[in-house]
Amino acid sequence: MDISTDALRGIELFAGLSADALRRLSRVAVRRTYASGAIIAFERDLCQAAYFVVEGRVRICRLAPSGREQVLAEIAPGGAFNMVPVFQEAGTNPATAEALGRVTLYAIGRDDFRRLAGELPGLAFGIAADLAGRLARLTNLVEELALWTVRSRLARFLVQNAEQGEVTRGWTQAEIAARLGTVRDMVGRVLRDFADDGLVQVERQRIILLDRAGLERQARE
Amino acid sequence: MEKWPLPDIDLERCDRCGLCVQRCPTQAVEMGAGGPYVARPQDCTYCAACDAICPQGAITCTFEIVWGVESLEEV
Repeated sequence: MDISTDALRGIELFAGLSADALRRLSRVAVRRTYASGAIIAFERDLCQAAYFVVEGRVRICRLAPSGREQVLAEIAPGGAFNMVPVFQEAGTNPATAEALGRVTLYAIGRDDFRRLAGELPGLAFGIAADLAGRLARLTNLVEELALWTVRSRLARFLVQNAEQGEVTRGWTQAEIAARLGTVRDMVGRVLRDFADDGLVQVERQRIILLDRAGLERQARE
Repeated sequence: MEKWPLPDIDLERCDRCGLCVQRCPTQAVEMGAGGPYVARPQDCTYCAACDAICPQGAITCTFEIVWGVESLEEV
């Protein structure tokens, strides 16, 4: 069954496209649903499609042979992933995509997506803007990993998460480590240091930030 | 009776190495026939030492990140 053009408008990349462009996309988009924890695309597999998230969140990560993981992005509804390899000759998935909770997405096959990008200038411009945004985010990530210590990164991570106001999720130390490009026990050690310094208090299922100014100072060191 | 949140142990991933039992600072974890379990929930402080030490990543402790009251006044 074709996907409605209204539904496609909910995807950021497609929001500004004409009704005709959306109709053409709707003919090639396929709706897929994944259970929590399911792998949507494996790193290094041949790229089959570009994906657009409708419901749920998708974690994009790279895994080292040692098992160490680096989370590159978490894609929310309206976002897209696998946009880079679609445009590479014999492109492979640059990272693994995993469903966080139940996920619904639209998949557009590589050949169809490339063809439509060539035929629809609005789509091509949107793709260029999307890729520019990705490049900027990855540049920031390289800076984080190369120039800042784990203490700085963890302090920044804690403040940024608490600043979201409403608690939307719980974090394991492994998840925090994967975000920060480090390992679980390092996160545990730094959290204990922060607790000893009076910056945080670690309670049952809660990390309570006690000293905002102190954490912001750590984030800059 | 109050229900304590406890570390989540994934017995499918666990290889029964017993490190969590050895390293638990309050000896709350024991090795049972089916694998490790929190035998004394009231002694578990949710310190996440078991989470950090498990070589298989089979134990997880989940934390929300929130402002304390004084920090909230600065926000």
